Amino acid sequence: MKTIKDKIAKLSFVALLLAVTSAMFYTPAASAHGEKSQAAFMRMRTIHWFDLDWSTDEVAVNEQMTISGKFHVFAGWPETVDKPEVSFLNIGIPGPVFIRQGSWIGGQLVPRSVTLELGDTYEFKVLLKARRPGDWHVHTMMNVEGGGPIIGPGKWVTVTGTMGDFVNPLTTLTGTTLDLETYALDNVYFWHALWMSIGAAWLWFWVKRPMFIPRHIAVSSGKADTLISPLDKKVAMGFAAGTLGLVMFSLGATNEQYPITTPLQAGLMRGIKPIEMPETTVTVKVEDATYRVPGRAMQMTLTITNNGDSGIRLGEFNTASVRFLDADVTEDESGYPDDILAEEGLTQSDNSPIAPGETRTIEVTASDAAWEVYRLADLIYDPDSRFAGLLFFFDEDGNRQMTMVDAPLIPSFI
Amino acid sequence: MSASQSAVRSRAEAVQVSRTLDWMILFTVFTVILGGYHIHYMLTGGDWDFWTDWKDRRLWVTVAPIVSITFPAAVQACLWFRYRLPFGAVVCVLALMIGEWINRYLNFWGWTYFPVNFCFPSNLIPGAIILDVVLMLSSSFVLTAVVGGMAWGLIFYPGNWPIIAPLHVPVEYNGMMFTLADLQGYHYVRTGTPEYIRMVEKGTLRSFGKDVAPVSAFFSAFVCIIIYFLWHFFGRWFSKTDFIDGEGL
Ligand SMILES: [Cu+2]
Repeated sequence: MKTIKDKIAKLSFVALLLAVTSAMFYTPAASAHGEKSQAAFMRMRTIHWFDLDWSTDEVAVNEQMTISGKFHVFAGWPETVDKPEVSFLNIGIPGPVFIRQGSWIGGQLVPRSVTLELGDTYEFKVLLKARRPGDWHVHTMMNVEGGGPIIGPGKWVTVTGTMGDFVNPLTTLTGTTLDLETYALDNVYFWHALWMSIGAAWLWFWVKRPMFIPRHIAVSSGKADTLISPLDKKVAMGFAAGTLGLVMFSLGATNEQYPITTPLQAGLMRGIKPIEMPETTVTVKVEDATYRVPGRAMQMTLTITNNGDSGIRLGEFNTASVRFLDADVTEDESGYPDDILAEEGLTQSDNSPIAPGETRTIEVTASDAAWEVYRLADLIYDPDSRFAGLLFFFDEDGNRQMTMVDAPLIPSFI
Repeated sequence: MSASQSAVRSRAEAVQVSRTLDWMILFTVFTVILGGYHIHYMLTGGDWDFWTDWKDRRLWVTVAPIVSITFPAAVQACLWFRYRLPFGAVVCVLALMIGEWINRYLNFWGWTYFPVNFCFPSNLIPGAIILDVVLMLSSSFVLTAVVGGMAWGLIFYPGNWPIIAPLHVPVEYNGMMFTLADLQGYHYVRTGTPEYIRMVEKGTLRSFGKDVAPVSAFFSAFVCIIIYFLWHFFGRWFSKTDFIDGEGL
């Protein structure tokens, strides 16, 4: 007997462990730090985020902040990633530490998925309201169906205060004002508690009498019918009738209390307006490009032609959200995150203005530890070893022009 | 202890031992079901059960009953036909819902801070009671599959409507109409669940106008009948071997 008891006790313990682990099995939290692990070409050749602005880096619970800027949908979109026909403008944060009060592309509210066109540039804005105190890395993010999340740059934002103070007030079309944070919660608890008690009562009605061994003996000796008494049947019918009655009654009462309800809203949004980009007057040809592994630097030979009427200088190379600037030409005034900003990361063999009509071939080097830290150098291990990025040129009046580069990359290991 | 010797010395002791075993077996059965059924339901019903903005009148109504009638059918096959215990469905659903509440409360809310009014589980108790009562009164698994399976599918939506209805009240928000449940999904950011993987309001039932839920429920109910049969036989096969063998006692 003792061994059986032990065995069952052991088995129960294993079962309990199994149950607990399975309950712990799933948490929908996603860390906001997938940025470095994503394949370099995904970040370089899909969505290019630029002109980003985080409205603040410290915000109190219940206060708002925005992330705004532009993104360019790269025309040389990689073959291995599905085209952004169904895309969702998301935000990369560790769970709902902020709530997303609004998100817009080209001025259009985008709570649903949208269709983006390759080669177009869009303006976007995300409005967040702080909910949970802490230091959070807030990323821009675009989810592309068949392509996964495409993570943009992240900036640390500190939320102060206490989560208990957070409120999310709304007014419905039926005129009720509520706090979505706790709305209808009592109703959820009430019905779940009620139904689970009814279930538990049914279970108790049976488990309070001897169960497995005597009943098994009775069933195997052909006396199964004696195990259910007429009273049991009456009680069972009572439970069934009560269940049906309660469902009917609660359904009627609910429809009376909430006469106006609508189905969940869903559907793809098309026709999102891109920014009308001015005609570029600069053409750039990549003669060759190498990545020097020991120097953590990318070298490009560019042939630049200025077809405009003002002298231009190359000021910035932007790839995978890392910005390499030529300090002589431009500087960042937006408070861009330090770790992905190389203020003097761009050096040119000749950075004097390229005169109107002039064609010049220059050596450009983009170097920064970010190549390693952000694992962009892993590009050289990609199946399609190409790099891509945005080049920004500035004319004498400070006007900016954007061009794209997309070319093969040769690694150099010495 | 030789084979001819009894493990207990008196009838009273035998009764007591049998009762101890009852509780141990029940506890084991309960936790094993909690684990197994919970994993099964998360893998098959998953997001439909996690989030209010997935609980629509087409796919949730269809999917949730079909994937949840599985374990109740199997456990009924064992508990009723071997022990005449008519609580197979209720014990499953109770275990599942307790497991779900632990997960939703500790993980979804406690760890990740999704509000509980956004990630509570679906209510499966009404269907389970009907399923158990039908089996007990008819003692026929065919009738239970047909009548009980049907009821399981049909009662799911009305059994949950009182809980989700408040979240289907419409709101005007930045020039668009949302239900409160849609807004929960939009406000409480799920980085790993982009909007496009949400499968709601899809399908070809447009010709039924706005009365989609009953049509979906009927479809679900028919499939539940088939799934009940299938899992009934899984249950039979699984319970072929005795829980404990009598010789040891
Ligand atoms: Cu991050």
